[in-house]
Amino acid sequence: MGPMNATLVWSATAVAVVVALAGLASTLAHRRIGLLHLAGAAVLEVVLLVQAVVAGVALAGGERPPETATFLGYLAGVVLLPVAGVLWSRTEPSRWAGTVLAVAALVTLVMVWRLVQLWEAPGA
Amino acid sequence: MPERTAPGGTATGPGRVLVAVYAVFALAAGARATVQLATRFDEAPVAYLLSAFAAAVYVVATVALARGGRRVALAAIGVELAGVLVVGTLSLLDRAAFPDETVWSAFGRGYGFVPLVLPVLGLLWLRHQARTPAPGTPAPGTHAPGTQAPGTAEDPGR
Repeated sequence: MGPMNATLVWSATAVAVVVALAGLASTLAHRRIGLLHLAGAAVLEVVLLVQAVVAGVALAGGERPPETATFLGYLAGVVLLPVAGVLWSRTEPSRWAGTVLAVAALVTLVMVWRLVQLWEAPGA
Repeated sequence: MPERTAPGGTATGPGRVLVAVYAVFALAAGARATVQLATRFDEAPVAYLLSAFAAAVYVVATVALARGGRRVALAAIGVELAGVLVVGTLSLLDRAAFPDETVWSAFGRGYGFVPLVLPVLGLLWLRHQARTPAPGTPAPGTHAPGTQAPGTAEDPGR
């Protein structure tokens, strides 16, 4: 996995799934998002930031994925996603705030695994 | 611009989820098209220009939905639906013409077919919005409280 650390990737996966489920649950329960959602998004953000630093160090050390520009784009994007998701859902006064956060968490999940793939697969 | 804007009308409730998904696609398609056009335009100019076009459509749809520009949103989502159907069909019929993937190739298979479902949800949402005016905007025929016409008064039993 190169600098896409397995522990960090699986941590991000687990937290993203929890945040997505919590978000969908609050929509189904006709409730707004609460502290649990925000805490989950914060943990996810921390894991992503650590992963970004690890990948950044590897890149600075001369390691290169096949498509460096795309990899960097995903790396920058994935770090912004939970923040954007929280901001966009916090301004939603209805039960749909949870679904907004769930979308952000699921897209984060996809992007993390795309990063793994981008580093591993030649010419992916 | 004579665009009728109900601020946030199309971006509240489920609409906010729709805007989030559209924003993701605007970014994904935009970034992908930028990389394709910048690094290997010669390989497949038609496919890459289509990628850029798709990205532009998603950007317009995102902004229109977010700002409540219903007519622009309707036009953009209509173009999006036509695009995913036409490009999806052509990419399956004539693979040589689409050597590299775009968001709309094979009806958006590379993106879990979300590009195919998204415009349908968008059109349904806009239709739903057109039927239920945003809160605060009086519907045609609605009178101010106390001036209700006979027969439209609220049931006193409730």
